[in-house]
Amino acid sequence: MKKLLAWILWLWIALMIVGAFAWAPLAQDFIGESSRILFFHVPMAWTAFVGFMAAGVWSARYLWFGRNVRHDQAAHTAVSLGLVFCVLATVSGAMWAKVMWGEYWNWDPRQLSIVMAMLFYMAYLTLRSAVADPQTGRRLAAAYALLGLAVAPFLFFVLPRMSGFTLHPEPVLNQSGKIEVEERMLTVLIAGAVGFTALFFWVHNLGRRLLSLSERAAARPIAGES
Amino acid sequence: MGDNTWVLAVNLVIWTGLFLYLLRLGSQIRKLEQDEGRE
Repeated sequence: MKKLLAWILWLWIALMIVGAFAWAPLAQDFIGESSRILFFHVPMAWTAFVGFMAAGVWSARYLWFGRNVRHDQAAHTAVSLGLVFCVLATVSGAMWAKVMWGEYWNWDPRQLSIVMAMLFYMAYLTLRSAVADPQTGRRLAAAYALLGLAVAPFLFFVLPRMSGFTLHPEPVLNQSGKIEVEERMLTVLIAGAVGFTALFFWVHNLGRRLLSLSERAAARPIAGES
Repeated sequence: MGDNTWVLAVNLVIWTGLFLYLLRLGSQIRKLEQDEGRE
């Protein structure tokens, strides 16, 4: 059953890739084929956001529902994976910026806010590794990720809109609260967001189990040692 | 489409490779968990 779901996900993302390159039209006022990068860039940024929010939820569960180590491991894995998607979104965004604006980095509010999000969650990983006592480390990291439940929405959705100036095109949900994206482009964007989110949770499941195995292996006494 | 065909093909190859790797990783993790359960 799980394998069937995995193959459905393969087909879903494969169709999304075909849709992005061969079915969706090019966006108006974009240079060449550059708008196709956005079919990957936007869902990646979305998935990073989902990962950070999921980390906050698992951290809340860790803090308030029995200090279950599995919840802490889930939050840790979600932050690590969220950072991977964040880096992918930033790199794909920079590639698109080079084509459209002539430079990889333009000090655009959205570029700044995603880098701030990355720094915020890198600090989470640093915090975890900086505390010697594992239980204290888990507790502090969980409290920090809980703070992320307020910080991540602010950095992803509020801050970029506050500046009033951006080189970025209108977001999918524009300033007037409407979705004015061409139908096929919107379909590919939504398919990408759904597919990447499902991919996130699949990889998250593998990552958490791997982390659990390695933590248990590290806690086991080495053969021959008393 | 024309010029995009090779980019599309490369993307599909990368995705399929990643997918097969994840399937294999999943089965290896399952095996490790079973081995640990038997200990």
